[in-house]
Amino acid sequence: MIRFLNQFGKYFLLLGKVFSKPEKTIIYYKQTMSEMVYLGFNSVGIITIISFFMGAVITLQTAYNTENPIYPTYLIGLGCRDSIILEFSSTITALILAGKVGSNIASEIGTMRITEQIDALEMMGINSATYLILPKIIATLIFNPLLTLISIIVGIVGGGIAGTLTGVITPEDFIYGIQYAFIPYYITYSMIKTLFFAFIITTVSSFQGYYVNGGSLEVGRASTRAVVYSSVLILLFNVILTQLLLS
Amino acid sequence: MIKAQNIDLSFNGKKVLDNVSVTFEPGKTNLIIGRSGSGKTVLLKSIVGLHNIESGEIWFEDILFNKLDFAGKTEIRKKMGMLFQGSALFDSLTTEQNVRFPLDMFTGMSLEEKTERVNFCLNRVNITNSNKLYPAELSGGMKKRVAIARAIALNPKYLFCDEPNSGLDPLTAILIDELIREITEEYQMTTVVNTHDMNSVMEIGEKIVFINEGIICWEGSKNEILNSDCKILNDFVFANSLAKQLRKSHE
Repeated sequence: MIRFLNQFGKYFLLLGKVFSKPEKTIIYYKQTMSEMVYLGFNSVGIITIISFFMGAVITLQTAYNTENPIYPTYLIGLGCRDSIILEFSSTITALILAGKVGSNIASEIGTMRITEQIDALEMMGINSATYLILPKIIATLIFNPLLTLISIIVGIVGGGIAGTLTGVITPEDFIYGIQYAFIPYYITYSMIKTLFFAFIITTVSSFQGYYVNGGSLEVGRASTRAVVYSSVLILLFNVILTQLLLS
Repeated sequence: MIKAQNIDLSFNGKKVLDNVSVTFEPGKTNLIIGRSGSGKTVLLKSIVGLHNIESGEIWFEDILFNKLDFAGKTEIRKKMGMLFQGSALFDSLTTEQNVRFPLDMFTGMSLEEKTERVNFCLNRVNITNSNKLYPAELSGGMKKRVAIARAIALNPKYLFCDEPNSGLDPLTAILIDELIREITEEYQMTTVVNTHDMNSVMEIGEKIVFINEGIICWEGSKNEILNSDCKILNDFVFANSLAKQLRKSHE
């Protein structure tokens, strides 16, 4: 318990250090842009592939579980849309990014720590926490909502294609279903969740990397911890945010 | 001048620095020598503020460094350059970008001025035609020299070198030693070098401090070190058979 409180306190102290005034804004702007490419744009491929197949599976499962003449077939489209917007595109995407981006951040910062690159930054009078972590936070807060939007669109398209190709639903019914009783707030809810998850992934992973002590083995462990802790926190905040935003 | 007074530091209850007091003089190459694990690196990192000391004082001229806040320390650190044991070059930046980094962060120089300064520093450490190479593409000796170029980019008043010769062949090690000595004299810096390499001691040791188990055991010059009556120091200095034979022939 004391160790947990110690880590908890250290995490918030690190955040305090991260959100202090940057030395030179232009340098941080460039860093943020490159992090957007590195952490955001480079994830578009994996998000697209996973979302497409996720949408396809959701459509097929919904179809096989609603094989009853009293249910109109357009409900398959509706079910696919709501599942993707409400849960899959924000939460599953965040869990995937926790694995891809989280381990990347922890190992990058951890390696910088053990090779004394962070000490070199501090020696130059640079706030290493702000320099290394703040651009990553800003980049993911800006880019992850875009990834979620891409995931929603690709997921629904994937669902439509899978449903049509397997013959479980006609394209007309699917399009009618995804337009039926649409609640725009669901998109807002999904975006809010995405912002929280992006913050969790970046800060928890950075924290794990920043305080690495030892050698390459410890960097590997920090990377694993980053993924595990980020994923658990994402699932926990998913419940909390759902209760707060949808109740 | 850099002065450390009565500094103490422990890690996990184990005393690593025990009441250490030492003065490093300007315009000289000051050496901290000692066995591996004796506390050399901890002492160096404590002086530059990378470790927070438990008690004692660290003075840079008339400024009490260890009591300064982050902004105050930053101002002093702009006058420091440091060469780390593993060079600590930024992997994602090229040689040129590494040396330019402190200029980007702390000066209002134009790109042309910065490029000129970078080329000057790289030429000074005899690195040519490697501006676009990444650290992974450089040899160990080149990395050290690029790290020195980065350390002197802002014309520092204080230069700290942690094991500058580790992992280098004897000839390259001598080149690095000579470079450190030349730069120190040229810019009249206060240079502090951590080493356990006796060649370095005899090459550049103007003032030498011997540390053992976190305690300063001996201070003197390279001329005095061979005639010391400090047993622990003698065990360290004459550890290898060549040194033992030289001592015998000297006697």
